[in-house]
Amino acid sequence: MELKTLAIWIPLLPLIGAALVGLIGLRWLKDRSHWLVLIGVGLSLVFALLLFQQVRQDAADVDLSAASIVLYEWIDAGEGSWLNVSVRTDPLTCVMLFTVLSVSLMVVVYSVGYMRDHHGHAERGYERFFAFLGLFVFSMCMLVLAGNFLLLYLGWELVGLSSYLLIGFYYEKPSAAAAAKKAFLVNRIGDFGFGLGIFLIYLTFGTLDYAAVFSMVEAGADATGEVLSTGRITTIALLLFCGAMGKSAQLPLHVWLPDAMEGPTPVSALIHAATMVTAGVYMVARCCVIFAASPVAMWIVGSIGAATALFAATIALTQFDMKRILAYSTLSQLGYMFLGLGVGAFDSAIFHLYTHAFFKACLFLGAGSVMHAMAGEIDIRRFSGLKRGMPITYWTFLIAGLALAGFPLLSAFWSKDEIIHAALAGPMWWLGWIGLLTALLTAFYTFRMIFVAFHGEERLPKGVEHAHESGRWMTVPLMVLAVGAVFAGYVGVTLFETSGFLWLFEPEGAFHEFLAPVFAEAVAAPVAHEAEAHGSHWLMWLSAGLAAFGIYTAWFFYRRRPTIPMAIALASGSIYRLFYNKYYVDELYELALVRPLRRFGDFCHGVDRFVINGILWIVAGVPKAIGFGLKGWQQQGALQGYALGMLIGLLVIVWWVLTNA
Amino acid sequence: MLSQQLVYWAYGVGGFGALCVYFGLPKEGRPERRGLFVLLLAVTLGGLVLLFDRLLGESANRFVFSILALLGVGGAVRVVTHPRPVYSALYFILVVLSTAALIIYVGAEFLGVALVIVYAGAILVTYVFVIMLSQQSTEATESRFASVLDYDRSAREPVWAVLAGFILMATVAAIIVKRDWSDWDEVSAAAMTEKNTLELGKMLMTEFAISVELAGVLLMVAMIGAIAVAKKRIPHASDAVESPPRGEVGKTVDPF
Amino acid sequence: MAHPTSLMIIGAILFGLGATGFLTRRNMIVMFLCTEIMFQGVLVNLVGMGMMHGNLEGQVLGIFVLVIAAVEAGLGLAIVVMMYRRRGTLDAESWRQMRG
Repeated sequence: MELKTLAIWIPLLPLIGAALVGLIGLRWLKDRSHWLVLIGVGLSLVFALLLFQQVRQDAADVDLSAASIVLYEWIDAGEGSWLNVSVRTDPLTCVMLFTVLSVSLMVVVYSVGYMRDHHGHAERGYERFFAFLGLFVFSMCMLVLAGNFLLLYLGWELVGLSSYLLIGFYYEKPSAAAAAKKAFLVNRIGDFGFGLGIFLIYLTFGTLDYAAVFSMVEAGADATGEVLSTGRITTIALLLFCGAMGKSAQLPLHVWLPDAMEGPTPVSALIHAATMVTAGVYMVARCCVIFAASPVAMWIVGSIGAATALFAATIALTQFDMKRILAYSTLSQLGYMFLGLGVGAFDSAIFHLYTHAFFKACLFLGAGSVMHAMAGEIDIRRFSGLKRGMPITYWTFLIAGLALAGFPLLSAFWSKDEIIHAALAGPMWWLGWIGLLTALLTAFYTFRMIFVAFHGEERLPKGVEHAHESGRWMTVPLMVLAVGAVFAGYVGVTLFETSGFLWLFEPEGAFHEFLAPVFAEAVAAPVAHEAEAHGSHWLMWLSAGLAAFGIYTAWFFYRRRPTIPMAIALASGSIYRLFYNKYYVDELYELALVRPLRRFGDFCHGVDRFVINGILWIVAGVPKAIGFGLKGWQQQGALQGYALGMLIGLLVIVWWVLTNA
Repeated sequence: MLSQQLVYWAYGVGGFGALCVYFGLPKEGRPERRGLFVLLLAVTLGGLVLLFDRLLGESANRFVFSILALLGVGGAVRVVTHPRPVYSALYFILVVLSTAALIIYVGAEFLGVALVIVYAGAILVTYVFVIMLSQQSTEATESRFASVLDYDRSAREPVWAVLAGFILMATVAAIIVKRDWSDWDEVSAAAMTEKNTLELGKMLMTEFAISVELAGVLLMVAMIGAIAVAKKRIPHASDAVESPPRGEVGKTVDPF
Repeated sequence: MAHPTSLMIIGAILFGLGATGFLTRRNMIVMFLCTEIMFQGVLVNLVGMGMMHGNLEGQVLGIFVLVIAAVEAGLGLAIVVMMYRRRGTLDAESWRQMRG
């Protein structure tokens, strides 16, 4: 099939599924609603693989700087230029599509089991859930396929909308409704900047098409041919990054993501771990040319990434809610990705995005499986020793946890190390050390969770008689994703290289080669990638050691000497409280932003109500009083009285017309 | 300035007419002023004749025209002022006949004849039927108003109504009189009166064919509607089945 | 040959008289008669305006006015009969439900 056809059908199939489910789900499909979306996403994945095949074949002779494929001329921007519905099918898009659709498919399958009670009856809103899920997949595909900034923005807002709808899926629950609102509002702040960035791009380059914009940035000239100032390009990059901060929950706009865990767990796995939150990473990678042109922007991206990574990891150390721990670890991993972007290792960041999607989705789905078995309980203090009751969940969770911890030979080991290595090799080497420290913390908090929840003697929350394994619908996606967590990384390493790590593995592989053309212009300057491979063996050993040390510490603290954590918590009182209370960021926002804004809003409301409405009341009071006075005299219900009124009115009009003629 | 004079003249005639109608209107509790009414009517009609005299100029048949106009207007005044509906209806026949004659006189033969047939022949008969159907039995006594129903005996808001009606009339008349007629071509207007009915029929069947069809449909719809409305069995006020209606049956209600 | 002005003035007079009667007479049948007088006024006016323009369209419209008058009379009288049956009176004042 042609690229164009594929590019049309990939987003369209999930949308058709979603629309059909939304239309006829409630009445006819009921608890069979998942089939349409399942088929839609599955076919989409097949098409994405075909697209991948095609792009790979053509990779050699396709000119990536060529304009995007125009599907439809959308908005006439005047002077013969159009804002189009256009798609760009380059390796980056293929990677994103594959990641998004494969995880989506697994999550859809998993949801079939998850969104039911223990008797297999569908939950209320079952069809709504799948319709939203389909909508999300459509939006995400639009986002990654977009060939210009306008369409990107469209997809960007659409995923925000689907995220809002799905976080607030249990809208009867006040906390879920509030979380949905929070996510939406915080995202709006980022999107505002993003929108401004797009305006500025249009203003500067006179077009929104990727290829045209990027080629102009490379040439260092704007639409009129004038030299592009660094200030302008930095402003654009930072405004775009603003959107990425919101969508990918980077400091200081991270506050919505942990709260977003109020949504159903599959949603957390898909949207708030694997795909949507990585849209920011994708966008920065997509605009790598713009970012690479501005050292300041790169520095800020890297710093914020590193800061978020460390910040979120420290919070994750102290949390007890499994989903929240995972949410903070997602923040932390997204921080890694931005760190990689900031130091110019775009391909490594995308590599990490890709591996992260599998193991993090697997972890979330595992947490969902636990939650399902524990009757909605997710606090790791309430249960332990689930290993025996839920072996599949345990093993998949363990594998994905090892991957997250950066255990050697699992997927994240490769991708994370590349990022840290790139950071250490660059001018911002201290970011690399932050990355290493975070890696240690990551291993620790991941295994703290695993040891507390799955090991030890079996303890169950009240009302749960025995831990039981989830059904086939849920365990199969877990296993598939666990396999992904182990092997997904191998596309990014070169195997059987005797000089490599463990005399087998060499960093950088087919994945990087495939992506290379996309980042060719941007990567050339900041990081010298050639020499790094050999120099990074010590780093690999070091990070493997750190992972092992973190895991061992977790085991020692929580299995061998369970009193130690409490002692540390007591000893480090205020710091512990700081971590536990998430650095009081929410409270700070409440105090610094929400309350003043609310007060200002109250003030405006008061002005509107008493001053403006007062004036209106007075103005409206005049005819009202006249009418009230006339009512008793004139309005008696008698036909002829009204006729007389009409005639007098007619005379007034005639008089008016005659005197003004 | 002739037209300006005519305007004042028209206003004056209108004013007298208004007074005439006002005093002619039946009003309970007010002494009947028949003499005043007749006087005012005479003055008004006289003024009207003079007005027409000026307007028509040296036209040969202005006498005929004036007579017809006077009959029509006088009849209309009586329709409005007569306390008995049957008489109103009969005076209305006078109005119809005189206007028909008037428009036949100016050349609209077909319309005039149609007016007589439709109005005097059909519509008026319906009116008279309805009046008879709804006539309430009253005992004849000495008083002129004795056999007249109380609501026919008192007009509603006569001052305002007369003012509104006559100001409207005066305004329209003033506009008509003020118009500049120098460009009016009497010859072509006269030419159109030749073979009036033939030309009219041609026009109706060609230019206005769809309108004619629509009018036919409208008539049929109205006929069906009238049957549907009147056929419905509505409990009479005197039927014991229903409790007495809320309105004050047959009683005088204070106007306004 | 008469001047159209005269005709139009007669039309105006009939219209005004009809309006006055409609406003002031309380018998519903007489009110309808007064609207018929207004129709007459309009009809005469139309003939006059047709003369003024030197064509027959005014008279054609007059025929349609006749149609409307017939329709109005038929329906109006049907309604009057119905209202009379319900209230036992022709007094327009007895219908005062149209009050806010």
